[in-house]
Amino acid sequence: MNRRAAAFILGLALALLAGGALWWWLQGRDSGGPESGPAGSAAKPAPVSFELWVPDGIGLHVERRELQVTSVPKDRIRRITETLLTPRPDGVRLFPEGVALAGVQLSKDGTAYVNLVWEGHEDPPPSGSTEELQRVYSLVNSITTNVPEARQVTLLWNGLQRPTFAGHLDTSRPLTPMAALRTR
Amino acid sequence: MKDRRFLGFLALVSLLLPVLVAAQAQRAQLPAPPPPAAAAPRQPIALIDGAELPVPVTLGPTGPLFGLAALVNNLGGTLEADEAGESFTLTIEGKDVVIGVGSAIVTVGDNIVSLSQPPTRGEGTLLVPLDFLQKTYGDLAGFAFEWRPGVQQLVISRRAAREIPVFLDVVHLQGMTTVVLQFPEAPRYQVLRQPGQVDVQMMGDRLAPPPAPPVATDPLVQGVTIAPEQVRIQLAPGAQASSYVLENPFRIVFDVHLPSQAPAPVAPGPAAPQQAPGVRTIVLDPGHGGTETGAIGPSGIQEKELTLTLARELEARLESQLGVRVVLTRNEDANLPHDARTAIANQNKADLFISIHLNSSLGAGAHGAETYFLSAEASDAAAERMAEAENAAGGALPEGTAGLEAQDLELILWDLAQTHHLLESQRFAAMIQGELNQTLQLRDRGVKQARFRVLNGAAMPAVLVELGFISNPDEEKKLQDGAYRTELIASLTRAIGRYKALVENRPEPPQVSQPVQPAQPSPGATGTTRPPQPRSPGRR
Repeated sequence: MNRRAAAFILGLALALLAGGALWWWLQGRDSGGPESGPAGSAAKPAPVSFELWVPDGIGLHVERRELQVTSVPKDRIRRITETLLTPRPDGVRLFPEGVALAGVQLSKDGTAYVNLVWEGHEDPPPSGSTEELQRVYSLVNSITTNVPEARQVTLLWNGLQRPTFAGHLDTSRPLTPMAALRTR
Repeated sequence: MKDRRFLGFLALVSLLLPVLVAAQAQRAQLPAPPPPAAAAPRQPIALIDGAELPVPVTLGPTGPLFGLAALVNNLGGTLEADEAGESFTLTIEGKDVVIGVGSAIVTVGDNIVSLSQPPTRGEGTLLVPLDFLQKTYGDLAGFAFEWRPGVQQLVISRRAAREIPVFLDVVHLQGMTTVVLQFPEAPRYQVLRQPGQVDVQMMGDRLAPPPAPPVATDPLVQGVTIAPEQVRIQLAPGAQASSYVLENPFRIVFDVHLPSQAPAPVAPGPAAPQQAPGVRTIVLDPGHGGTETGAIGPSGIQEKELTLTLARELEARLESQLGVRVVLTRNEDANLPHDARTAIANQNKADLFISIHLNSSLGAGAHGAETYFLSAEASDAAAERMAEAENAAGGALPEGTAGLEAQDLELILWDLAQTHHLLESQRFAAMIQGELNQTLQLRDRGVKQARFRVLNGAAMPAVLVELGFISNPDEEKKLQDGAYRTELIASLTRAIGRYKALVENRPEPPQVSQPVQPAQPSPGATGTTRPPQPRSPGRR
């Protein structure tokens, strides 16, 4: 091996080394570890202002709330739902204590699947139609208003889709937002 | 010489270094492998047709988990991750399976499937449980999966051909013929369309034809032949067929029509005797019942009890005052599916359907009555699905991808039934609301529209009336007072009387007075469709 050839190989190797190091650095920057959740900048929570549809005496009104979320749509749906499930300052709860979010799924066609569970209860809480509309559309309207990737919502109860949620509203198909419930 | 050797060595090391760096980086991306299962007798393996597959197998908390990517490589299909790596889309035989890491619910096409344990990351790949494989590769591609825990083996085989019975219904209704092929379990099949005929070709499975040969003397379907390999539907000249799938039980439904008649159903044939417009039969539906209590008031009164009381009182008043026939959907405290309630109305050829409810609200202060009719959104959705089915008639879309939301749907016609009566339903709702406002001086919550299931299949003007909030202590108390209820009943009776007079004094039949009766096949029908049947109709 003459000196020129060795120098060429060395140069090539150094270029590869530099390229490899750059790739490694970019990879580490984008992906994070498996425990750190979704990727890179998308996984970094930041404060975002959301319009949440919350129940009042006769329907739903819109409140602005700032939530720490990533840019991942499923994460946003999860955060919005969890926020709506927590009791409001005026004491009104969207669902009884113990109702929790078990999972969120977002399909390619823009359907968000929101799975609620209530340990020890096979059925959702019994209610009249207005209460049922408030419960269901608080979630549907808030999700579809704030997460453009979700244009409709399928509500699951204990992992199952129900013909109606509490005896009135047809929940056998995905729900699109119902603006008529807005009171102010 | 020494310099040259040193340079060569340096070059070699430099060449190897990026490789080592890349390998380290790749390893950093992968999660730590799960701890080995305690007392696993041997390394788990996967076998297909006796040959060992390089499929990572891990023992999860409730059973084994299998590396999906390796299975996709061996069994076919594609697997794509979303940009965040949080969800994956597996495509098998043209159907998308959406998987969320950590979620025990996946979507398979339009269906939602619950898994025994959630898919997870591990072994450098996505790991899925056994039932995931059975519900995806098993159902969609005909593979059988068996986990043998004793020997820690996943045995994969191509499922043997099944012999599946098929049942045939052919019904001609409103200018359209519906052919229904019903199976006790979903076969593997494809639909092939050719001019003048449609074939349902089995893929691996075989059909057990019905004992009696099907007869199909129909204006649009010349014949249906069932052989072990296929069902052939022979169409009349010019007829077109669109198809969709219904679940529970599994059915492939073909709507056959002439292009000029699609998609709107035409008026019934001349054989059907025309009755003068009127309100002769009214079906009252006391909301909820049985284990479904409906709203519960502060004193513990349940909506289902009060709605039955109100319905019985209204029944007596309507029969005595308006001379109409009244049918209650339930006359006892019993569960009754929503579709069965409208089925009772359709079977009784009711002229009006009134579902009686009492309301509740989150938050304080809600009071008053409101009257609902079906939302345009709900009826639009049914029409959209009909249109999608029509669009699929050309065969451009593969079976099952017409966008139909088949879950819990009985028939598209069933869903469309109320669509033809929305205008009259709105008119009737306005009359009820007007009377309630005027007589009782209740807060006017107005006429509203919502996607209420109980109004969906009604083939006549149909409303759901909320006669007050039992979540409001004052209204709850009033609703338990007989005198107050009498006033409510009187105002409802007046509204029904006004509507009855309106219909009977019209110079012409109303714009949408031809009820589509999905439960009633026309004369000459060669079979019957099966709309929802009531389980325990409490009729008087």
